[in-house]
Amino acid sequence: MARLAFWHLARTVLAVWALASAVFLLSYRDQDAAAQLALPDASEASAASASVGASGAGQRSRQLAAVRQRLGLDLPLFYVSRAAGPDQQWHWNGPANQYHRWVTNLLHGNLGTSFRTGQAVATRLRAALACTLPLTGTAAVLAVLAAVVLGQRLAARPWWHRPMRTALTAVHGLPLFVVALALLLLFANPDVFAWFPAYGFAPHADGVAADLGSYLTHLALPVLALVLTALPELTLQLEAALTQELRTDYATTARAKGLAEGAVIRHHALRNALLPTITQLAALLPALVAGAVVVEVIFALPGMGRLLADAAAARDYPVLVGGVLLTGAARLLALLLADLLYLWADPRIRWQS
Amino acid sequence: MAILTLSTLPLSRKLALAWLALLVLVAALAPVLPLAYAPSTPDLAHIAQAPFGPSRHWLGTDPQGRDVLSVLIFGTRTAVLLTLPAAGLSALLGALTGGAAGFWGNSLRLEASYWLMAAGIIWWAVALPLPEAGLVGAGLGIALALAARGGHRTLPTWPVPMETVVMGTATTIDTIPRLVLVVAMAAGTGISTMGLLVLLTLTAWAHPARLVRAQMLRVRALPFIEACRAAGLPGGRIWLRHAMPLAIQPLRTAFPLSVAGLLGLESTLSFLGIGLPPDVASWGRLLGTIREEPAAWWIFTFPAILLITTILSLNKLSREPR
Repeated sequence: MARLAFWHLARTVLAVWALASAVFLLSYRDQDAAAQLALPDASEASAASASVGASGAGQRSRQLAAVRQRLGLDLPLFYVSRAAGPDQQWHWNGPANQYHRWVTNLLHGNLGTSFRTGQAVATRLRAALACTLPLTGTAAVLAVLAAVVLGQRLAARPWWHRPMRTALTAVHGLPLFVVALALLLLFANPDVFAWFPAYGFAPHADGVAADLGSYLTHLALPVLALVLTALPELTLQLEAALTQELRTDYATTARAKGLAEGAVIRHHALRNALLPTITQLAALLPALVAGAVVVEVIFALPGMGRLLADAAAARDYPVLVGGVLLTGAARLLALLLADLLYLWADPRIRWQS
Repeated sequence: MAILTLSTLPLSRKLALAWLALLVLVAALAPVLPLAYAPSTPDLAHIAQAPFGPSRHWLGTDPQGRDVLSVLIFGTRTAVLLTLPAAGLSALLGALTGGAAGFWGNSLRLEASYWLMAAGIIWWAVALPLPEAGLVGAGLGIALALAARGGHRTLPTWPVPMETVVMGTATTIDTIPRLVLVVAMAAGTGISTMGLLVLLTLTAWAHPARLVRAQMLRVRALPFIEACRAAGLPGGRIWLRHAMPLAIQPLRTAFPLSVAGLLGLESTLSFLGIGLPPDVASWGRLLGTIREEPAAWWIFTFPAILLITTILSLNKLSREPR
């Protein structure tokens, strides 16, 4: 089991590295645009160059070159590059290239500095995580708890079994941003119900406890949106697994000795039916990070997702690559968690190893 | 026959099919429909106007003065032209790679002459120093292959790690949620529709590849494949003619779901303002403008109804009839 988990993790580390490298190397096509956007007072400078004419244009190109050097964009991108000339020969750049510098910094624990603000990427990611982790963490815990409760109830076939299933299936297909927008327009709209604030979330420097009530009302709708999109898949899967377990012989035996259906589910079938749900958990954590992109943009929360979306719009590549690495780390964590939970849920796995 | 099967379908599936056919028809006819207003030219005299008003904007206008009806119709065109080809291409790519990985695993062995040929062609294609050396290598490979075939000699063979490569790439793509990956790759606005299509295809093929590979692992153990081998058919022919038609069965139910997923992804991207350039009409972008004018219910309601109906119809289609 330990060896299996180790290979699992090793493969994922390799995959995360490959993806981050791909995103890093693909960013070459827009490096000029990134430098332009990082230029101080880009709009003013362009207005000035338009008025002064040729000398302004020369000054602007000097500024651009300075920005490129400051951001490290003047180096070649990779170890080898192809000359732009007609012969298109390959030539070797040596270790003085952007990729080498990025990997070396990464191995020293340095994620680089943001193009836009000049802050360290790690600082920005940490600030964003402080907002996102409570959001996604609460949503994940609530979704799993609600799915376990609801799945048990559904497996006992109450009268609301069919309408509930239909509703879950319908919600399952909806894109998250439609759900979140509908919630926003229904419950944070002065024209309908103004129960929750629509925006204005400001994290406090001295921790979240400064104003717990306001914090909770700001997080209520985003968490609800995330739970609503994560819940149907988890519940339907768990219900299907439970239904299958309840048809087995040991469930019949439990019923024959006089246990109520609820007790059969709770004490006998549930733990066996949890295995596929644990597998889903490994996909749930990274998915919640992705869901945070949409939810944070809609509810104006200053978290990971907003950071990623803004960085994508502004071509802030160090932040983007950092975000990809962090999402990969969430995936690693989820895999580790899932492997541990397998051991808890099914001791046979421990014996086999 | 087709009419017969159509008439025996349950009503809900018929409705779903009819709705999707209508969408495709609208998408195809969008440029010739007699619309009062073009989707990308704003009517600045009527901004955020309610539907069924005095002007000729039947479904109202958005805060930039664009006609909602024509944005919806051209948004349908964008959605159909983007998601259907992306789903089709990713299904094709996934079926080919997953089918090959499942059928041969890592055990396909190629003779040294073919390896030489491939290496020579790659050398020449990426223009490593002395590209002519690559061509010479490829020629040598062809000559060796012909000589071996004529003289019935056996060359050394090396295995192709097909399954490792395909499944490794699929795992790599699946590590990070598709939305984060596409957002990171399509950084900035102004990627063309074609570029987005390629990006969606490259991030969506892993799922069909897994499905087809899993089915192929079952199919290749069936007796009729053994019979084909006993009859002396070449491996490639067994794969394409006999094994693949069975192995791609799971894609029949996965394809509508894949279209629905891509539709959701495309509208999410447009909603975030990432990916397609701003002048391309899209349901997601129209939905996004509600944030500028929260009282304008018609901007949210009409595209949301279209999107939800389409996704539910696709989900309905993907469920196997009992």
